[in-house]
Amino acid sequence: MIAMLAKLLKALNSDSAPGQIALAFALALITGLTPLFSLHNVFVLFTACIVRINFGAFLLGTLFFSGLAYLLDPAAIALGESVLTHAAAQGFLTDLYQSDFWRATRFNNTLVMGSFIISMIGFIPVLLLARWLITVYRHKVMAWVEKLKITKILKASKFYKVYQALAE
Amino acid sequence: MKQWIRWSGLVGFIAITALLVLGWLFAAGPIIKYSIERFGSQAANAKVEVEGVALTFDPFGIEINQLTVANADNPMENLLQFERAVADLELLPLLLGKGIVNEVALTGIAFSTPRQTSGALEKSASNDDSDDNEESDKEENKEIGVQQTLPTADELLSREPLLTEQRGKAFKNSFTTIKADSDKAIAALPDSDALASYEDEFNRITSGRFESLEDFQQRKKEFDALKKRIKKDQKAISEASKVIANGKETLQGQWSGLQAAPGEDFSNLKSKYKLDGAGVANLSRLLFGDQVGEWSQKGLYWYEKVSPFLVSDDDGEKESEEEEIKRTQGRFIHFETDRPLPDLLIRQAQLAVQLEVGEVAVQVFDITHQQAVIGRPIRIIAKGNALKSIESLAINGTLDRRVSPGKDTFDLSMQGMALNNYDVGAMGLKLDRSQLNVVGDAALISGEINANTVADFSQAQFSSKDKTLVAIETTKALAKIDRFDIRATAKGKLKAPGVDIQSNLDTQLSDAFNKRLKEKQQELEVKLKEGLNEKLLSYAGDYKDQLKAMDLAGGSLADKQAKLKEMASSELTSFADQQKADAQRKLDEKKKAEQKKAQEKADKKKKQLQKEAKEKLMNLF
Repeated sequence: MIAMLAKLLKALNSDSAPGQIALAFALALITGLTPLFSLHNVFVLFTACIVRINFGAFLLGTLFFSGLAYLLDPAAIALGESVLTHAAAQGFLTDLYQSDFWRATRFNNTLVMGSFIISMIGFIPVLLLARWLITVYRHKVMAWVEKLKITKILKASKFYKVYQALAE
Repeated sequence: MKQWIRWSGLVGFIAITALLVLGWLFAAGPIIKYSIERFGSQAANAKVEVEGVALTFDPFGIEINQLTVANADNPMENLLQFERAVADLELLPLLLGKGIVNEVALTGIAFSTPRQTSGALEKSASNDDSDDNEESDKEENKEIGVQQTLPTADELLSREPLLTEQRGKAFKNSFTTIKADSDKAIAALPDSDALASYEDEFNRITSGRFESLEDFQQRKKEFDALKKRIKKDQKAISEASKVIANGKETLQGQWSGLQAAPGEDFSNLKSKYKLDGAGVANLSRLLFGDQVGEWSQKGLYWYEKVSPFLVSDDDGEKESEEEEIKRTQGRFIHFETDRPLPDLLIRQAQLAVQLEVGEVAVQVFDITHQQAVIGRPIRIIAKGNALKSIESLAINGTLDRRVSPGKDTFDLSMQGMALNNYDVGAMGLKLDRSQLNVVGDAALISGEINANTVADFSQAQFSSKDKTLVAIETTKALAKIDRFDIRATAKGKLKAPGVDIQSNLDTQLSDAFNKRLKEKQQELEVKLKEGLNEKLLSYAGDYKDQLKAMDLAGGSLADKQAKLKEMASSELTSFADQQKADAQRKLDEKKKAEQKKAQEKADKKKKQLQKEAKEKLMNLF
């Protein structure tokens, strides 16, 4: 956990592309909000593995959004219920239901459907927001933080040495 | 673009995936084996053992080798075993947690095979409760077993509340009370000496003429005193007679009831313990032989084992209630589909069942505990061709639990079953040979069975070694019959249905069967009657002697009463006669004197007239 956090901090403070870290958070939004053991999360994990994103950010993001999911689950279930029982969608959903593959995704579960829709809706905003926040952090916050006295004290501390050792 | 692709990540993903798959491949077999043995043993309450479980990939599935299910009631026997089972699984539904098996093929199935080691489960403390339940079940079974055998006469007499005993006790009490009352009443009566003294006194008072009025008055006074005593005795005798008569009436009424009690008890016992056969459990055995009886027993056993797992709609409601509780997991919304996926479905199971008569191929379709999901019932088709001593055997079954209550139906067709040297079980009768065709159907709803079977016997040939008249007569009657049928219906509770059997052999066989049954009944009846009579006699005691004594006493009292009455009436008659006789005598004497006087006057007048007439006549001449 500390190692992951250290890597994330290092990535934030490095020259890594902000988009790679932002994409890790956006993908984590899906794995975090939707039930973890779902077929689509295998594809998300696959993507997280082959696309050069910050894996620490992805795992930390997953943990963060999983916590958030406890609050969002009732809303997600209600959304999934309304989508799955919507008259206009019945034909399409019935067609999907005929396929073993789509049923394996458990799309007909109200929580899976609702949380997946929320994560899809939130994907681009989270991606853009995370990217913007990282850029702002690097240009403004990081420079400001570097100048702080406490930062200098921390950098001289034992904790920073550990951070550096773990981050390498 | 190049900086966005992480090839090492792809390798890592593949490596991790491969590791998981390989791990699953190695672990799956032992895990499945463990699951079968653990949960199977719990379900069968005896050891379930599997030699090995392996995964197959073309098609994807599992293979189970050498599975044995021990018999909980007989640990040294396997209830069921098979050599090999191959299940063809669908992979994608597995990701949903759905076990969809396209086909299961079982080979080398055998029942009731011996075991090398005991199949009993090791008892644990947690199983104590279930053990208790089993014990109680066994006890119940024992009771059922006892009920199916005829109880002995002594058991029946000691077990049942008998009218003979109830009435006997009441009779004994009444008898004691009445005897005491009658003895007391009799003790208060005048004895023969007293009666003789009354007679002497009576004769003294009434004999001889009254000398004077004083004499008469004295005698009258004595007579009145005597009369008073006689009346008192008469009253005592009347009361004693009444006590005896009432007592006698009461005892005779109770005696009649007591005498009838053994008969009533016997009828009650007969109706309660139907002494008309050895129970319906042996009926199919009796009619169609040990083989068919054994099959019926096994079929019933497995039906009862399987039934609890065929969940009906009621359980669906429970499931939906559980879904409500687990709201955070959401709920599944099912759409119309040609391929519904219940939690567990075996689309087709093929079983090659080894029986003594040969191999029977059994196909079972759509095995699931969620029939409402797939919309189809479980279907069973069993076929046996070219079996030893059976031309063809076909059983079709449907276990339909789509709606509640579930309805299970079975059709049976057995053609050309050769019966040879079949012991009918009565009068040494043997069916030397016969061809048997059986057609039957059964429907089970909520534990109630409604079954109809027609067994058509042809080329029948009977014989009997018994030399009894009944056996000889029956054999003679049966020798003329080549073909007959037996129609059996069973209705009611599955374990104890009401069975009705009719046959066109009825007219010929009923007498013979009835005689056989009556023989058994008579043995019991004789013992029962003896026992009941013994009880009757124990209560009757010396009632007859006492009754006789009471009769004598009654007769004696009547004599005494008559004698006293005679004495009283006789006294009155003698006194009046005397008065009357005196008056009559006086009257007669007076009358006689008057008559004599008149006669003399008449004679005198006659003579006068004659004299005058003579004188006149003489005057004429």
